[in-house]
Formats: sequence, structure tokens, C-alpha cells
Amino acid sequence: MPNGDHILSSFNTALNELKDATLTMGAGAQRNLNHAIQGLIQRNKELCNQAIADDEDEDKLEIEIDRMGMHIIIKFRPVASDLRMVIASMKTAANLERISDQAVSIAKRSRKILKNPELSKISRVEGLYQVSANMLSDAMTAYSDNNAELALNIIEREKLLKKTHKSTSRHFAEELEKETELYRDYLDVVFICRWLERVGSLAINIAEDVIFEETSTDIRHGGELPETLQDPR
Amino acid sequence: MTQQDPTNIEPTANLSSQAVDLSKPETPDAPPRQHPAEADKDGVSTPTQANNDLQGLKSMIEISDLSFSYDMGKTDTLRNITLDIPEKQVTAFIGPSGCGKSTLIRCLNRMNDLVETSRITGGEIRIMGQSIHDKSVSPIELRKQVGMVFQKYNPFPKSIYDNVAYGLRIQGIKKKNILDEAVEKSLRGAALWDEVKDRLKDSALGLSGGQQQRLCIARTIAVQPKIILMDEPCSALDPIATAKVEELILELRKDFTIVIVTHSMQQASRISDRTAFFYLGELIEYDTTEHIFTNPSIKQTEDYISGRFG
Repeated sequence: MPNGDHILSSFNTALNELKDATLTMGAGAQRNLNHAIQGLIQRNKELCNQAIADDEDEDKLEIEIDRMGMHIIIKFRPVASDLRMVIASMKTAANLERISDQAVSIAKRSRKILKNPELSKISRVEGLYQVSANMLSDAMTAYSDNNAELALNIIEREKLLKKTHKSTSRHFAEELEKETELYRDYLDVVFICRWLERVGSLAINIAEDVIFEETSTDIRHGGELPETLQDPR
Repeated sequence: MTQQDPTNIEPTANLSSQAVDLSKPETPDAPPRQHPAEADKDGVSTPTQANNDLQGLKSMIEISDLSFSYDMGKTDTLRNITLDIPEKQVTAFIGPSGCGKSTLIRCLNRMNDLVETSRITGGEIRIMGQSIHDKSVSPIELRKQVGMVFQKYNPFPKSIYDNVAYGLRIQGIKKKNILDEAVEKSLRGAALWDEVKDRLKDSALGLSGGQQQRLCIARTIAVQPKIILMDEPCSALDPIATAKVEELILELRKDFTIVIVTHSMQQASRISDRTAFFYLGELIEYDTTEHIFTNPSIKQTEDYISGRFG
């Protein structure tokens, strides 16, 4: 967004409120995901329950952000970077809502797993969680600071994400093959790995929205990078 | 608007006494003109960005390095304006009051000749390849080709019919059937025929504001100009009348080149193909309307269209 305020201060206020709401939602999604994974690793059912309960706030925020965005479009007719900011915020909210849904899925399966004896090397999911959670946290930083280069950096981490997901879920799949009695639990962990990987992919979507907001270039599905971001080194 | 069109008066189609054919297409392989800011060897960098790449469209009006003064050249109201306006497109001029957009549009049909102390202090305007400031060009002939619609609708205190037929009668056309045909065609072209066909002999001043403005457009197109200039044509109209005029502009675009000055950003984005942003007598940015309103290249443009100027 260009610096300098609008002559109409209520327009500024409305845009700032939209951004604040999106950042609040981002913080909530990160917290829910953290609760779900810590619940699994620390065998803490309460944390899982909290992740599931707090998802409701995220749903409400998503609706609120869409309402605010529509209100801004109707009332202020934003153009150029203002319009892109509104569109990027609404799309980011939709991605955050899905991330929070992944956290709910993880929390629900974790609660099931916690009823049985502890699985060996369950803490291995934490490595995958770190990759995804860092991508999400950086995506929200990029959105907050209008930082297209950081956003591009997140997109470049896709390979690392896929690799970590593959090696982590292979580890648990191997446990499955040992015909253990806990095969249901190991199967659930494989699913949890899949959802963690989804979180990273959704963070990439947010990063793409940030690049759109900053450069007006749609790089999704193989779209070309804007000149300003092409290989500056 | 076919060849058999009775309103298309051939002998008057030339601007100059030397009978230069204005409708002659310009040489297709003319070298691309360089923007003065790029040609500036002194390294004085101006933030101006004029995208004169018309993407294959033929240019109708070429303004090159134009400077204009209202006070015999003491101060320049317009400075080094360079832009190409494409044929059969709508080009919008936007900018804050006093930025020179109305001055520029009035240069295009030499309306500024009426101001005694006004001078072109540099550069030129070419319409269909011909310089319009040439001594041989009569402003009357020029204005037959370059019609104008004003902010405040200004029909003559005559009947609806006489208003539309006025320009043709001045050209010496007296035959009733030709005039009848031309009046109907122009009123239809201005989307007014159905509303006034039963009251053509009534005074034009009895029409609503929106109808009067469309009547002025009908009067303008009756003489079959190539270009229609519009100086804030909707600023005195209500939203419905505005919508009708905008719809009409999009329709007229098939046959005419339209240049419109507007203060409404929404109107510019709705109806124009290209947009030029002016500030303090300079052209700041000129590009496709989509580019200007989604991702302007110059910060000043963005500040203006998004309401940050001040």
C-alpha cells in the first residue's frame, strides 16, 4: 500500500480495521494449530479441545472479514492497491479458515490417539509442524508488512515442505507395516501429516495473495513472477 | 453511417483550403515518436509516463510536446504534453481542477482561439495526420470534424427538430427529406428518438436535462464529425440520465472517436478505453483504463484515483 493517508479518514479507518481483523484471524489460526499439535505431542486432551472450540471464532471472523470487505467496496469504491488489499484480505481470510479447519481435524484425531498408549517417535510430527507453522507465520508477517520478497521466500519453501511431509509420513507408514496393534493410531498420524502439509500449501496461497496485493501480478498456477521479484541476486 | 449517408457532406470534409484529405490514413510505417522525457539529454527525469503504444489501433489525434499559454506565453498552462488518441475509442482525461485537462480538450477544436491572449508555445496537435494549427486550417471546418458537447447542456431556444437540423442547414442543406432523414438518424443515434418523435416541433427547452444533453449530442453527431469532445457531459445530470448518456457514449464509440473530460473516477473506469491523468499542466500518466485503475505506474496517479491527494 502506498504511504500517505486518504483524504477521507473513514476510508483509512475501514481499511485498517479490515487488516487488523485479518491479522487477528491469522494469529488465531496459528494458535489453534499449535494447540492441536502440542495436544498430540504432550498428550494433553485439553489443548485439543481448545483448538476445536476456538475454531468457531475463526469462522465468525471469516464472515466478518467478508462483510467488511464488501462494505468497503460498496461504500468507498476502492481502486488500485486499495482494491487489491481488500481482495487479498478476503482471500487470505478464506485460506485461514481452512487452516483452522485442518487444526480441528488434527485435534479430533489426536484426541482419539490419546486414548491409547503413546506411539513411538510421535514427536517426529513436530519437524513437519515446524516447517508448516513457520510458513504460515511468515505468510502473516508478509501480509502485515506488505513484504513481497518474504512472500516469495515462502513459496520457494514448497519443496522443503513436500520433502519433509514425505519422509515423516513414510516413517509412520513403516510402523503401520509392522502389523502393530496400534495400526489405527498410526494411520491417523499419517492423516495428520497430510493435514500439516495442507497447512503449508494454504500458507503458500496466502503468500500468492500478498504478491498479488503488492505487485498486481497473479502468479498462481505457473503465472510468471513480476519483474521486481525476478532473481535480484 | 454508410457511404450513402445523406448527412455525409463530402466537399466540406477537408479542413484546409488546399484540400488536404483529412480522412487519408496516415503512413502505417511512420517511425514511433519518442517521448520528450526520454529524448531529454540533460538527464532531467520527469515522473511522466505516457504509454502511447496503442496496441495496433490507428491513432486519430497525435499531440506532440504541446505547450500552451493563456497569457501570451508568460506562463504555460500546459507543458510538454505528448499523447496519441486512438480512433473509435473512448479516451478519458482526469485530474484535479486546474490541471489543464479542459484546456487540452479545448485545444483539440481550437476553442481556445476565442481567448485573445492564448498561444500554443510549443509542439503541435495533428488530427488524422494534419496539423490543426496550420494557417490554412479554418477553425469552422475543423469543428465540423471535431464536435463538442459541454458540461451544461445548451440547446438553442428552437424546436427539437431545428436544433438537430441546425448544423446541416448552415451547410446549405435545404431539402426536407434529407433533413428529415438526418434528424431521425441523429436522434436515434443519440437514443432520443422514441422519446421525442411525436413532439419534434416542440421547444427543446421543454425537455428534461438528460434529454437536453442527449439532444446536444444528436446535434453534434448530425454533422457527422470524426471526433466528439465531451467536457464533463454528465456533471449536471441525475444518475439515470447519466447512465443513459454513458450507454450512448459506448454506442457512439463504434462510429466516433470520443475524448471525455470527467471528474468522476467511476465514470472514467466505466466508459473509457484509455485514461490520461493530468496534474498542474503536465501529463502524469497515460495508459489503458484497466492499467490506470488496477495498477498505476506513477504514485501521483494512484494517490489521485484512490483519494489520497492533498
